[in-house]
Amino acid sequence: MKIPISHKATRRNQRWFFAIMIVLFIPCAFYLKLSYSQFMDGVGRVPDIVKQFLHISLEDLPTLLTELLTSLIIAFLSVIISVFLSLLLSFLIADSTAPNRLIAKGLRLIVVIVRTIPTTIWVLLAVASMGFGSMAGVLGLLFPTTSFLIKSFTAQIDETGKDSVEAIRALGGTWWHVVFNGAIPTLYTTFLALIAFNFEITVAETVILGMVGAGGIGVLLQEYISYYEFAPLLMGILVVFITLFILELVTNRIRKRLADNAR
Amino acid sequence: MSTLLEIKGLTKKYSAGTIALNGIDLQVKSKEFIAVIGPSGAGKSTLLRCINRLVEPSSGSIEFEGDRVDQASARELRRVRSNIGMIFQHYNLVNRLSVLENVLHGRLGYMSSIAGMFSRYSEEDKKKSIALLHKVGLENEIYKRADELSGGQKQRVGVCRALAQQPRLILADEPIASLDPKSSAIVMDAIHRNCVEQGIACLVNLHQVEVAKQYASRIIGIKNGMMVFDGPPEALTDYYAALIYEGKESQMYAGGEQQDRRYA
Repeated sequence: MKIPISHKATRRNQRWFFAIMIVLFIPCAFYLKLSYSQFMDGVGRVPDIVKQFLHISLEDLPTLLTELLTSLIIAFLSVIISVFLSLLLSFLIADSTAPNRLIAKGLRLIVVIVRTIPTTIWVLLAVASMGFGSMAGVLGLLFPTTSFLIKSFTAQIDETGKDSVEAIRALGGTWWHVVFNGAIPTLYTTFLALIAFNFEITVAETVILGMVGAGGIGVLLQEYISYYEFAPLLMGILVVFITLFILELVTNRIRKRLADNAR
Repeated sequence: MSTLLEIKGLTKKYSAGTIALNGIDLQVKSKEFIAVIGPSGAGKSTLLRCINRLVEPSSGSIEFEGDRVDQASARELRRVRSNIGMIFQHYNLVNRLSVLENVLHGRLGYMSSIAGMFSRYSEEDKKKSIALLHKVGLENEIYKRADELSGGQKQRVGVCRALAQQPRLILADEPIASLDPKSSAIVMDAIHRNCVEQGIACLVNLHQVEVAKQYASRIIGIKNGMMVFDGPPEALTDYYAALIYEGKESQMYAGGEQQDRRYA
């Protein structure tokens, strides 16, 4: 008899997990009527579509770039407004700085609710009330962006800012002193890094959300798709890809530098 | 000597159910230098934090210069706190600000929200703060960022911040527990010398019995949230020390905490 080496309960758990996965997979595949022949038909059409895609045209580039700029501005504006809102609210919510526990709890609950609703829904709601366009984009992004920043900010205040907050409270400082002389200087670089990260996500989101009518380059992409205009679509995808790539490089750089700075 | 601080029946129960303090009675006269000793978890830190209400006491009364701290309104509490300096184990400086700014924070308790937020310290305050830094040997570090300093230097900045308040009482919570023996001596000297010179009373939490004996004019022993010793340093015999640290003898000697931290 061989000597067993594994942890029994862990291995049993793993086996159960895989067994249940397989049992579930089969009815699920039937439910969606996924069929092999449909898949093969689609694969057969791929070369044709690729050919259409490869007719890169520079014709639409100027429009694409203008709309890209709109997207970036939508993202920028909603992040800036969100930063103001969340800075204000974070210090009312964070455990170590909340002036009133009840208000903090209420606000925290609201943030949780806002966070559970997906960004797309917020933008759709904004589009429904504001009509198509950039206004809906900024307004719709405001909710998820603010709640993301509030969550990150409060965590940092309670984690990194705790010591300096305690010190300023101990020497008789007011709430404003605690926030402006203690917490904000301590957390400055951390906050900037979070904001840079958030801007990067928001730009990516704006592109997608344009497709549901929030303005920007997404609107164009949506039009190309619905008219089967593959050539400008590829151009659009390239433009988006390059932008997001550069943005990620830049924000990573910024965040790294800030992290080194804060040590 | 007049009574500066009077604590009666101070109890602190944490919401988890642990009783950190169990009926502490303590009188502090002005200019006293009191060492509070006891093993970790005995309630020393909670005791200090209840005095300026960084921790809310569960019951009991605290009177500072005739004012009831435990019943103070937010405004009164700030006034009381501005008269009580505090020194922390982890220094609690604002790392991204200059050394001088950190010391000037000691003045915030006397300033309006607006004046403080925009760092409008008076020239007088700046001069005094710089003088304090000279006194503790940090004259070359005034404009360095706080996080560029060594641990011992940071704690001296912490001492200056407390002194900048021109307090009547200083609470020092394990001021040397994160420092090496040499820096510890410098920091303890700085606290002791300034308190004696300026007639400031001091309550200092310490792990190490021999440091307590070296500096204190009075020693208090705390164990399981209760005061088990109160007397002059000469009266703290090995018998009492053993009683206070019963079961945690290893913490009696310098560096006990440091070792804990290294292995944590």
